[in-house]
Amino acid sequence: MTTRKQTTSHEEEFDTLESHLAGTLKRVAPPSGIVQRLRGRISMPARETITLRFHDWRTLVFIFGGVMSGMLLIITVARALYHLTGRRG
Amino acid sequence: MAELEYNEEEVLSLASQGDRESFGRLYEHYVERIFNYVYYRTGNVHDAEDLTARVFQRAMNHIKNYTDRGVPFSAWLYRIAHNLVANWHRDRGRKQEIPLDDLPVLPNKGDHPERNLVRSQEQESLLRMIRRLPPERQNLLILKFVENMSNAEIGEIMGRSEGAVKSLYHRTLLSLRDQLEDQNLNLEGD
Repeated sequence: MTTRKQTTSHEEEFDTLESHLAGTLKRVAPPSGIVQRLRGRISMPARETITLRFHDWRTLVFIFGGVMSGMLLIITVARALYHLTGRRG
Repeated sequence: MAELEYNEEEVLSLASQGDRESFGRLYEHYVERIFNYVYYRTGNVHDAEDLTARVFQRAMNHIKNYTDRGVPFSAWLYRIAHNLVANWHRDRGRKQEIPLDDLPVLPNKGDHPERNLVRSQEQESLLRMIRRLPPERQNLLILKFVENMSNAEIGEIMGRSEGAVKSLYHRTLLSLRDQLEDQNLNLEGD
């Protein structure tokens, strides 16, 4: 009789505990924007891929050449503009 | 609508061949679940965001090695998440308390405000107790209550039999009950 009472009491305790656990451990919605931000991070190339690109000398030469050509072009245009406006003044 | 067309086997096959669009679909399907798991294991949104991103990055890098050996893709993802969370805890060397601002305590509709306050305090105490449990017990509770998984599904993720999960769950409840008694906390019944 006493054992049965104890068992029932344990079951009640567990039921209460389970209902509180269900109320506490609820699924939460990630804050707005987090999913898009994460998607952006995932579609970024991995660090290893970026590091590998720096070991590829041909690509590096192309990048370096491109940057230098771009800079020369900007400087040339700037100088031309300076001379044009300077002469007018 | 997109959910109806989601065929995991097909999407997985394409993703493992390096199709990023397919991996994107897997991501859309699982991101919220993984975020929740990591959030409850770490206790803060920022680390949860960072770790969730790392879970999917790792999955993307290794998906070619993923072969279906009877282990569902979700189980594989959860295992990655579990390992990353374990590393996170090891690196920190301490178990973080859940910041109160981050607690996902939601009032039940129709409850009296004072009752809500009591509920929140109870939930805070309970969350702290859960976070003091060994990691595998925390995993079990998160998967059972947050993800509403069956013991069999939890077993697949944890690499245990259904019976072992049931037994672990019982021991976890006993342990929580003992902790409540030690702290003289009495949970109110509904």
